[in-house]
Amino acid sequence: MRVHRIAAVARFEFLSVVKRWSYLLATFGLPLFLAAVSGTVLGVQTYFLSQRAAESSQFGLVDEAKVIDRSSFVEQNGELRWKANEKADEVLLYDNRDAARKDLDSGALRALYIIEHDYLATGKVRAIESEKTPLLSMRGTSIEPVLRKLLRKSLIEGRLEGDLHQRVLSPAYFVRSRLGPGGEEVVDLDETLDLLVRTTIPLFLGVLLLTALLSASGYLVQTVSTDKESKIVEVLLSSVTPEEILAGKLFGLGTAGLIQFAVWSTMVVFVAITASAALAAFVSIPWGALAVAPILFVLGYLFLGSLMLATAALGANSAESQKLTLGWAMLAILPLMVLVILLEDPHGILGQAMTWIPFTSPLTVIIRLSVDASGIAWWEVLGSMLVLLISTWLSIRVGARLFRVGFLLTGTMPSLAELWRQAR
Amino acid sequence: MGVLAYQGVTKRFGRHTALDRVSLEVRSGEVFGLLGPNGAGKTTLIRIGLDILRADEGEVSLFGAPPTPRNLDRTAYLPEERGVYRRAKVRELLAYLGRLKGMKRAAARDAGDHWLERVGLSEVADQRVESLSKGMTQKVQIAACLMTDPELCVLDEPFSGLDPVNVALVTELIEERRRSGRTTLLSTHMMHQVEALCDRVALIHRGALVVYGQLDEIRRRYSPHEVMIWTTMDLVSLGLEATQRTAGCWRVELPASATPAGYLNELVRNGVLVDRYEPLVARMDEIFVHLVNGGS
Repeated sequence: MRVHRIAAVARFEFLSVVKRWSYLLATFGLPLFLAAVSGTVLGVQTYFLSQRAAESSQFGLVDEAKVIDRSSFVEQNGELRWKANEKADEVLLYDNRDAARKDLDSGALRALYIIEHDYLATGKVRAIESEKTPLLSMRGTSIEPVLRKLLRKSLIEGRLEGDLHQRVLSPAYFVRSRLGPGGEEVVDLDETLDLLVRTTIPLFLGVLLLTALLSASGYLVQTVSTDKESKIVEVLLSSVTPEEILAGKLFGLGTAGLIQFAVWSTMVVFVAITASAALAAFVSIPWGALAVAPILFVLGYLFLGSLMLATAALGANSAESQKLTLGWAMLAILPLMVLVILLEDPHGILGQAMTWIPFTSPLTVIIRLSVDASGIAWWEVLGSMLVLLISTWLSIRVGARLFRVGFLLTGTMPSLAELWRQAR
Repeated sequence: MGVLAYQGVTKRFGRHTALDRVSLEVRSGEVFGLLGPNGAGKTTLIRIGLDILRADEGEVSLFGAPPTPRNLDRTAYLPEERGVYRRAKVRELLAYLGRLKGMKRAAARDAGDHWLERVGLSEVADQRVESLSKGMTQKVQIAACLMTDPELCVLDEPFSGLDPVNVALVTELIEERRRSGRTTLLSTHMMHQVEALCDRVALIHRGALVVYGQLDEIRRRYSPHEVMIWTTMDLVSLGLEATQRTAGCWRVELPASATPAGYLNELVRNGVLVDRYEPLVARMDEIFVHLVNGGS
């Protein structure tokens, strides 16, 4: 292969892409767009959920077992009411089921709890939701923990003393903390914030790596379709070999993709550093993941790209090429499909297995490194790169041969047997 | 050995034999006409010669050796199915195609500008190709072909879509190449252009070589043994096998042993006042139709 020709193809392809408005918009606008959309969605959701959470509700309680301590209840208009929590949820104590069911049917109650006659033996409390109760609201409510507390208090009232009484009521206050990036410093951390800090950066980095990979591969599919549809293929092939065209396209569009990824990663780092300062060092920047990300991007892109180029060349037009290459993209997306498992257990069997599969290894390694760098061995990172390198070499070799067959195709697709013969 | 030579070349696509043991050569400095009806196998033959396709059987030599990327740099190709990057600017496209042929960046840009001027398109150099008319786009492609001054230039239907002025321009460019000793392989259905330009031709039909050789010799071979004579005299009354076409114009079938020159001498010796004398030579379109319709 002649380096100058590859460079000429690469330069042309690179400039063709980076001069497009769509590329500039995607490179500089996408992270801002994603941040704006996710911020808006999160903000709106949070607002409505908090509004909903702030709404007070009434619950019914029927004490058939006669175990409830009624001293907490206040009589109002002939009803026994208990203000259960800060949200002003109220529990109405009924003497019998019929009156309670009537209020539940009318919609006055969100749910009805019945402490059955055999409660002391079975512990059974029947919970009946109103038909009008919105989905998820029953589980989301904080009424059940306070009912439990009320029951506990009623059961031990007068039987235990002092601190023991208190500890039975509240056995433990969890004071949450974790080690900061500095090592020993212990800081208080809200559970939600902890989850956010642990998942946001790996998630963003992973999504950006995948988006950059698929975006660069998408450009490859597009350029092959353009060549075929504009019928310039013969002119190109009378000057350069299919291998040189393939290599030129891979390098040119890969550089465009790498620049895109670098811009996006820089923005993630910037956000992480800013967040780190703002959250008093809760956030640790995954420097290891960021360091290997460009290498994984290049290898992953060369592997996926050469397969995509070869497959795209078999399509007669852009739509057909995109259909043919969809399978490769789906394989690359796989880690994102099992993201919850990877975030929960980054170094489990699934994470380890996907580290060694060339389609999934770039994204998996990035996620594992950014969630918990200490759990992945250096030989795993290097090994996955080696597997990726070998797979890339193979896919470029086979891809170049298929590319030669596919590039000149204008009509029907060759049979699988013919493709196999050419690829050997 | 010719600039481009095929020896027993066969190419099959599945069960269809596109080329069947074709042997011919294109010689240095000539304009060679590759003729044949649509689907005859001309494009396949060209693609094999330029190593775009590989033959199933037979040998191809380009500049005396099997086609290699290095000797392909000495060729240029204008395919019948015209292809350009429509969103590229004209100057950028030419520079790119020049680079693909191994030219340095500055040389490619200069050559592109020079050839745009030659084909009268300097003013559109910075426009996108998609803004050009079909004829202008075709001239850009011809400029792209000639900008490297290739030793062998393969032009597949270079005149299609061009107006008479531009047909004359392209004809002149091909003539210029012949004068400078460059070789041109011309595939066209415009038979009068073949007659005007080609030194030698090959006619392919259904994948097989039907006719191959010097253009003049082929035309003579397929010509009737007749002459046209313009005279005021009545040739029938002189005992000749003549048919009057128009007033003063006679078509005469020559005796089997006679040559046109010898026959003219004999006429003059016998006192026939000949105003004009023309041996009948078959036109290439007649030969083409004759052979394609099964003539031998």
